[in-house]
Amino acid sequence: MSAATPAASTPDGGSPSATSAPVPDSSKDVSSNADQLILEYLRARGLKTAEKAFLEELERKTSTADDKGKQPETPTSTTVSQEELVKQLAIFAQKPANPDQNALKDSSSVLQELSSTGTPQNIQNLISSIGQVGAEEILSLDPTDKHEGFRELESWVDGSLDMYRPEFRPILFPIFCHFYLDLVQQGLREAAQDFYTTFSSSLSTIHYSTLNHLSTITLPYHVQTDEVAQRFRTEKYTVRMSRSGFGLLVGWLTEGVGGEPVGSGEGFAGEKGRRGRAAVMRVVNNHLRFEVTSSATSSVSPRSWEESTGFLSSVVPQTNGSTTDATAFNQAKGDLKLGPAPIPEDLRTETERTLQDQAMVDHDPGARYDLHFARQAPPPGLVSPTLAELPPHPPMFKAIDVKREVEKIRDMRKRIRLDPTLLNSSGNSNANATTAQGAAARARALPSICAYTFHDVGEGVPCCEFSPDTSLLAAGFSESYIRLWSLKGEKLKGLRSDFQSNSIRDSSSLNKIREKDGSTTRKLIGHSGPVYSVSFDPVGGSATSPRYLLSASADATARLWSLDTMTNVVAYRGHQNPVWDVKWSPMGIYFATASRDRTARLWSTDRTSALRIYAGHLSDVNAVGFHPNSLYLGTASSDCTARLWDVQRGACVRVFYKHDDIVSTLTFSPDGRYLATAGEDLAIRLWDLGSGKCVKKMTGHTASIYSLAFSAESSLLVSGGADWTVRCWDVKAAGGSRTKTRENGTLTNGATEEHPPEKEETESNETTDLLATFPTKRTPVINVQFTPRNLCLVAGPYLSPETR
Amino acid sequence: MSKQAPKARHAPAKVPGIYKTDSVRDVSESLNIINLSDIVASALASDVEYRIQQVVEEAARFMRHAKRTTLTTGDIDQALRVLNIEPLYGHFPYNPPTFRRALPFPQMQAAGPVYFIEDEEIEFDRVLREEKVTLPKGVTWTAHWLAVEGVQPLIPENPPAVPREIDPESAAAKHTSNASGSIFPPTPPSSDRPSPLQPAKQQPQQHIAVKQVLSSELQLYYARLTSSLLPPTSDFSKRTAALASLRHDAGLSPLLPYLVRWVGQGVVDALRSGSQNENDGRVLEVLLDVIGALLDNQTLGVEPYLHQLLPSIFSILLHSALPPSHAAQLRTTAAHILSHLLTHYSTTYPGLSTRIVKTLIVGLIGEGKSRSTREGAIRGLMGIGKEAVRQGLVKHQGAKIVGDECMPGESSSLVELVVEGFKLIHPPSLHPTPLNPDSGADASVIEELRAKLGNFFAERLIGDSAWARGILSDDAPDA
Repeated sequence: MSAATPAASTPDGGSPSATSAPVPDSSKDVSSNADQLILEYLRARGLKTAEKAFLEELERKTSTADDKGKQPETPTSTTVSQEELVKQLAIFAQKPANPDQNALKDSSSVLQELSSTGTPQNIQNLISSIGQVGAEEILSLDPTDKHEGFRELESWVDGSLDMYRPEFRPILFPIFCHFYLDLVQQGLREAAQDFYTTFSSSLSTIHYSTLNHLSTITLPYHVQTDEVAQRFRTEKYTVRMSRSGFGLLVGWLTEGVGGEPVGSGEGFAGEKGRRGRAAVMRVVNNHLRFEVTSSATSSVSPRSWEESTGFLSSVVPQTNGSTTDATAFNQAKGDLKLGPAPIPEDLRTETERTLQDQAMVDHDPGARYDLHFARQAPPPGLVSPTLAELPPHPPMFKAIDVKREVEKIRDMRKRIRLDPTLLNSSGNSNANATTAQGAAARARALPSICAYTFHDVGEGVPCCEFSPDTSLLAAGFSESYIRLWSLKGEKLKGLRSDFQSNSIRDSSSLNKIREKDGSTTRKLIGHSGPVYSVSFDPVGGSATSPRYLLSASADATARLWSLDTMTNVVAYRGHQNPVWDVKWSPMGIYFATASRDRTARLWSTDRTSALRIYAGHLSDVNAVGFHPNSLYLGTASSDCTARLWDVQRGACVRVFYKHDDIVSTLTFSPDGRYLATAGEDLAIRLWDLGSGKCVKKMTGHTASIYSLAFSAESSLLVSGGADWTVRCWDVKAAGGSRTKTRENGTLTNGATEEHPPEKEETESNETTDLLATFPTKRTPVINVQFTPRNLCLVAGPYLSPETR
Repeated sequence: MSKQAPKARHAPAKVPGIYKTDSVRDVSESLNIINLSDIVASALASDVEYRIQQVVEEAARFMRHAKRTTLTTGDIDQALRVLNIEPLYGHFPYNPPTFRRALPFPQMQAAGPVYFIEDEEIEFDRVLREEKVTLPKGVTWTAHWLAVEGVQPLIPENPPAVPREIDPESAAAKHTSNASGSIFPPTPPSSDRPSPLQPAKQQPQQHIAVKQVLSSELQLYYARLTSSLLPPTSDFSKRTAALASLRHDAGLSPLLPYLVRWVGQGVVDALRSGSQNENDGRVLEVLLDVIGALLDNQTLGVEPYLHQLLPSIFSILLHSALPPSHAAQLRTTAAHILSHLLTHYSTTYPGLSTRIVKTLIVGLIGEGKSRSTREGAIRGLMGIGKEAVRQGLVKHQGAKIVGDECMPGESSSLVELVVEGFKLIHPPSLHPTPLNPDSGADASVIEELRAKLGNFFAERLIGDSAWARGILSDDAPDA
C-alpha cells in the first residue's frame, strides 16, 4: 500500500485524493456559486429541512470566513493545493505498515508538520509543553476524544447528501469497533461502556452479532485473546467508496469540511474536535483499507456499498497478486466446467437398449418417447467436463447403474413441469387464485407439497432426509440415535447375528438369515452425540431403495450404516470437532463432511481417513454440497461466506461474499448454474457460479432458514425455516423489494396491487419473487426436498405449545 | 438501510456487569479469601461475564444446528465439551431445575435475594412402591398435503386460512353473493402462530370468530318461551303449554345453552333481590319447573350443562331466605329434581352423587347456617335416599347439630323434617316399646343415641326401642 494517502488502492493506480481534492472554500465566489446550485437542487428535490440546514450552514460559514479574515495569525489557507494536501495527509500515514504503531508516534516530526500546516497556536503550545512524551498519549488516553470524534463522524455521515450517505455509513462500524477496543485496551472500562451505549444502537441493525460479542469484551486481556477483536487489530477492514465520496471523506478528515456536514463543521474548529478527528484518522490509516471504485455513486445500489465492506483480505484467499476483491479473485480463478457429468458410453448404450426393450413391452404409450429424453442436448453456455476429469469411479458399470439411468430418463418424462414464469408473464398477480385462469397458472407454477410432521420428539430433530426413491425416511435425533421409517409400509429387517458366513451361497440363503419379524421403523444406535446430518446413498437413484446411509454427529465422527444389515459399518474419524453436515457425491462412493473445525473433508467410503481437506474458512463450516457434476464442492460457513472448491485439487475456486450473518445452508441448482445459500440474516442469495456474483437476494422469511431445494428444472426454489413456513421462490424473476416498485409508481408486478398499503409496511422485506407462502401448524420445517418427479416433500417436528 | 433490515433489532443494552462483583466476593469468601479488593473483584466479574458469553455463543451454534430456537442445557453441555471445560453435571433438559427464592436474611439486609435449586428429597420406600414409569410411545410421523398444485387445502392439519387480501371488486362481488365467510374452515383459530418478529401482523388472523348461528325460528321460539314462562305476562295454560313443549319437543338443543343461562340468571336475580315477595317465589317455582322439564326431555342431551344447572338447584334448595309462602314447596320440588337428576345421570357421572351429598352435608352441618338452609339440606338428602340421610343426620351428626339449636320440647317444621328423616332411615314400629334406662343393654343404646343424635332427638326416639335400635344398628355397617 502506498504511504502517500490514507490507503487508497485504486484499480487504475491513480491517487484519488490528489485528483479529487476537495475544494471546500477555494474562493468565496466559486463556493457561493456552488452553494446556489446546491440550494436549487435541494429545492427541486423538495428537501426542505436540508435546505434550511444548508442555509444556516452558509451563514455560519460566511461568519467564520469573516473571523478568519480578522485573524491573520491563523493562516488557514483558503486554497489547498494538491501538494499541500498530500503533505497534510502524509503525517497521518507515517508508518502504516505496522498497525500497532501510531502515525503520530514520532512526535518531533509531528510537531514540525503540525506547525507547518498552521495548527492553532494553543495546540502547538500544548504539544511543545508535553515535549518528547508525544502527542499520542494525549490522543489515546483521553477517552472523550473518541467519543467526540465518533459523534462528529456520525453526524457528518448522517448530514451528508442522500446520494453519499449509503457510501459513508459502512465506515462507521469499523471505526466504532476500533474505538471501543482501544478504550477497553487502555483499561477505560466505564468509558468504553459509555461509548458503546451511546453509539451502538444506530449500527445494530446489521452488525448485531458482532456488536453483541464486542459488548462482552471488557478487559484488555480479552482484547488480546478474543478472536474477533484480534481480527480487527491485525487485519485491514476494507471499505469500498466512489472516487468523489472518498475525496469528500479525505476533505473532512483533514479540514473538517467536505460533503457539506450540516451542523457539524463548527465542532472541528476547536481543539477537541481536531483531536477527535485525529483519532478517527488514526483508525482510518492503520486499520482501514479503501477500495476506490471509478463508478459513479448513483450507479451502485445503496445496499452494495455496505456489502462490499469487511475483512476482505482474509476472507478472500490471497493468490499471486494482492487482490482482495472477491470478484477479482473469482475472475482470476478462470472458468468452471458446470455442465452435466458425462455418462460412460457403454452405460449409455446399455441404457438406451433397455429403454427400447421396455418400450416394446410397456403398456404406457409414453414409454416410446423415453429415448427422446435420453438424447437431450446439454444446456447451452456450459462446458461439460470429460470423463477423465470426474473423480475416479469403477470402470465397469453394474446392473443398478443401468436401472438408475433408465429410471432417471423415465422421471424426466413423467415429471410435473413447474414453470413459475407463467405467473409473472401472464400479468396475473401471483397470489390471485380467484380467477380460473390464475388458478390454472398457479397449478402449473407451484408444486404440490407433502408435509411429514414428527410428533413427540424429545430434545429435537436436527436433521432428516427422504431417500431418492422416497421409500425411506431417516431422522437424526439429539438423543444420539437415528430413526429409519419405511414410507411404503414395508418391514425393515436386518440380519440375524447368529449365522455362519460360509452357509450363505445365494440370495435365498441370505434371506433365510434375515430377521423374522420387523417393524416399519428402526432405530440405528451408534453415535454418542446429537446427530446433525443424515444422507442416503444416491447409487440406486429413484429406481431402488438405497443401501447405505451416512450420518454426522457431535461426537466428531461420520458413520456409514448398511441398510441391508441395519448396522453401523464404518466410523470415519478425523475431524476434531462436531461434524455439522455430511453429503454423498452425486454418484456415490465419495462423500464430504463439514465440521466445526473450520474444514470440509472429502472421504471415500472404503477408506477411514480423509482424501482431501478443504481449509480456508475462518469459522465453522456449516454445510456442504456437491455440484451436480461432482467436480466442485460448495461450503457454507459462519464467516458469512460460501466457497466453491475444486474437489480433486482441493483449491478454492470461488468465494461468495457476502451474507450479513452466518451462512447456514446451501444447495446447487440441478442445471449446475446456480448456488442458493441461506443464512441467519434471513435472506436467501442466489449466486451465479460462473461469475461468482450474487444474482439476487430473496427475503421474506422471518426466522432462520433451515433448508433449500430446487425443483428439477431449476426454475423454482423452495425454502423451509423456523418461522413454520414453506416458501416458494421464482428463480428466474428479477426480485427486488416490493415497496420499491410502489415508490416509483410503476406497478411492475401485479403482486403489489393486491396488497393494501398497511400490509405492505409490515411485509416490506418480502421480495417480489416470493411466489407463495405455506404456513404449517407450529412445525419448523427442517428439510425440504424435491422428488425426481417434482413432488415437494417437507418435514419438521411439531412443537406442542405446552412443552416449551 | 434500515429498510432492508428484516427486523428492528435493538443493540444489546450494555448493562454494566450482569455478573455482579458481589457474586465474585461471595465465591471468594466461600474459598476463605476474605479481603478481596474491589479492582480484583470487578476484573474477575468482567472476565466471568466474558467467559459466560463465550460459552453461550458456542452453545448457540449447537442450538442452531439442532434446528431449535430454544437453548437447552444439552447445548451448554456440548459447548463446554468442545471448549474443553468440565461439564456441569445434573442438569437435564428433561427436568429443568426449579430455582426457589430464599427468605431474606433479617440480619443482612444488603445481601439481596438468594436463589437455590430445589432439591427434592425422595423416600426410598416410595420409589420402590411407586408404579414403574411408562415409556413414552416414541417418535411418530404423520403426512398431509401442505399444498396441492400451489393451493393449500383447508384441512385440520394446515393452519386456518389467512384471510387473503382481495381486491375491492371481488370483495364487493363476494358480499353481494352473500358467500363471504363461508370459505374459511370451521376449525377454531389454532394457537399462536409463530413469528415472534411480527406479532402485529399475525394478530388479526387469530380472531376468526366462530359464530354459532341460531335460526330465526329458534330465536322467536326462545323469545316466546321465556316471555310466556315468567309470571307477569303469563297465564297458567300458556305456562303449562310452554313447559310441555320444553319437556317433549325435539330439536331444541341449539337453544339449550341459552336456556340454561337464562335459568341461572333468573335464579340469581330472584334470590339476590331478597325481597321474599310472592312474585319471586313464583318465578323460582317456574324456573324449577323449567329445569325439571329440561331434565325430562330425552332429546336434549343436558349432560354437558349439568354443572351449570346444579348451582341453580342448590341455590334454591339451600338459600336461607326464600319467600315464606313458597319455601317448603320450593325446597321439596328442588329436592325432587335433585333426586331425579341423580337417578338419571349418576351412571354417566360417577362422582356426581358424592359431590351432591357432600354439598348438602356441608349445608346441613356447616357452622352458622340458617335453619332454612339446614331444612333444605335435609330435604335434599331425603330426596337422594336413605343412605344419604343417614350420612347426614347420623354419621355427620346433623341431627345433633339441629337438635342443639332447637328449644327443648319444640315442634317446628325442621324438627318434624328430621323425624321424617329418621323414619326414612328406619320405619318406626307400630307398637312402640320404650327403652328401659335400667336394663344394661337399653342403657347403652340410650348412651349411643345421646352421643350420636344429641339429647333433643334422643328424647324423641327413646320411646321406641326398635326404631332407635334400627337407626343405630343400620348405621353400624356404614361406620
